[in-house]
Amino acid sequence: MKPRKIKDGIYWVGAVDWDRRLFDDLIPLPDGTSYNAYLIRGSEKTALIDTVDPTMSHVLLDRLNQLNVERIDYVIANHAEQDHSGTLPQVLERYPEARVVCTPKCKGMLVDLLLAPEDRVLTVDDGATLSLGDRTLEFIHAPWVHWPETMLTYLREDRILFPCDFFGSHLATTDLYVSDEGRVYEAAKRYYAEIMMPFRRVIEKNLEKVQRYEISLIAPSHGPMYDRPEFILEAYRDWVLGDPKNIVVLPYISMHGTTRVMVNYLVDALVEKGVTVQQFNLAVTDIGELAMALVDAATIVIGSPTVLTGAHPNVIYAAYLANALRPKVKFVSIIGSYGWGGKMVQQLAGMISNLKVEVLEPVVVKGRPRDEDFAALDKLAATIAEKHETLK
Amino acid sequence: MDKWECMVCGYVYDPAVGDPDSGIAPGTPFEALPDDWVCPECGAGKDMFEKVE
Repeated sequence: MKPRKIKDGIYWVGAVDWDRRLFDDLIPLPDGTSYNAYLIRGSEKTALIDTVDPTMSHVLLDRLNQLNVERIDYVIANHAEQDHSGTLPQVLERYPEARVVCTPKCKGMLVDLLLAPEDRVLTVDDGATLSLGDRTLEFIHAPWVHWPETMLTYLREDRILFPCDFFGSHLATTDLYVSDEGRVYEAAKRYYAEIMMPFRRVIEKNLEKVQRYEISLIAPSHGPMYDRPEFILEAYRDWVLGDPKNIVVLPYISMHGTTRVMVNYLVDALVEKGVTVQQFNLAVTDIGELAMALVDAATIVIGSPTVLTGAHPNVIYAAYLANALRPKVKFVSIIGSYGWGGKMVQQLAGMISNLKVEVLEPVVVKGRPRDEDFAALDKLAATIAEKHETLK
Repeated sequence: MDKWECMVCGYVYDPAVGDPDSGIAPGTPFEALPDDWVCPECGAGKDMFEKVE
């Protein structure tokens, strides 16, 4: 497996995982992913930036062989998560003079997660530099993209930023650089929604920090490199800082069709008032799609029947995720139905305490909706449209 | 005394309550927390907190 040359002395030595379909046994990967590692040769020292998932260690080691790398002085560990650090033990074994370079917090995590040898780990402060001779690495502490220990590495002379997971995308491709911006936009947005969105307020600060650097290439740890950095920086600015848009996200389940009647009615009423709706039948939903929709939405309306005494378990799952992902939604409502009773509304409302939202009057119906219930849905649609007007 | 919010997880440090589980007595202002104090909910450091206006 051949390394890919970025420029003289700088190589991509990562692994493309075309077959992986699930990350963390949680996140669907419709387009596979890649674990990018980069080799940088200076006039005096050689550095490896991150490693690869432990399932693909052989790919990284093979590429280093192909380059006849006999000595690595530093292995930069921007992030302790195993899909990037997992091959560190093999790299340290193969290159006995190599030292790991990371944040103090990352050192503790590498020791905990990989039982890394402490005496081979060098910690660096925010803004510290490391000379490779004619090339200089600068380390930028950037916590919570997306773990507390994360940092970015900036290769000064070449103006390349290695941000690890920040700006990444789960996308298996043979393209070294972004070739189809639309496709990468989708993949990077999905990645942001699933991985980065819970830390939106901290990411805002990290984004400001990055913008102080002159960057000609962003080389992330997943997905292709950005040779037009402004493309991904602009997208992140919109996702992180942009106002919520005139969109309702409507995740729902219907067991016997009643909730579905209400969902369909509400969707029509919202569309008539000029509101965009993204509806997700949770029985068949890819949660990444749902997470992406939450990036921009101003309102979530949850639709659920009552199972035993509460919401359908799939709806509970979606509410839990929405709460954990902390999107910038402003309004929430609940619609649904029951046969004989239950506490569905109280249960769901109690699950979204992380969201700083105004709860709009729920519409929960016993049995099939009647005229007054449809009128209540019309009223809910009107309220949502009015509330969205105030966002402009 | 001001309350401070963790930007990572939304936990609010209330000086009136303190953080007894970490040995912080009620009445301790945020500024007086030790440097190695971390958010009891998510483990973020003090620099991840912002004053609640």
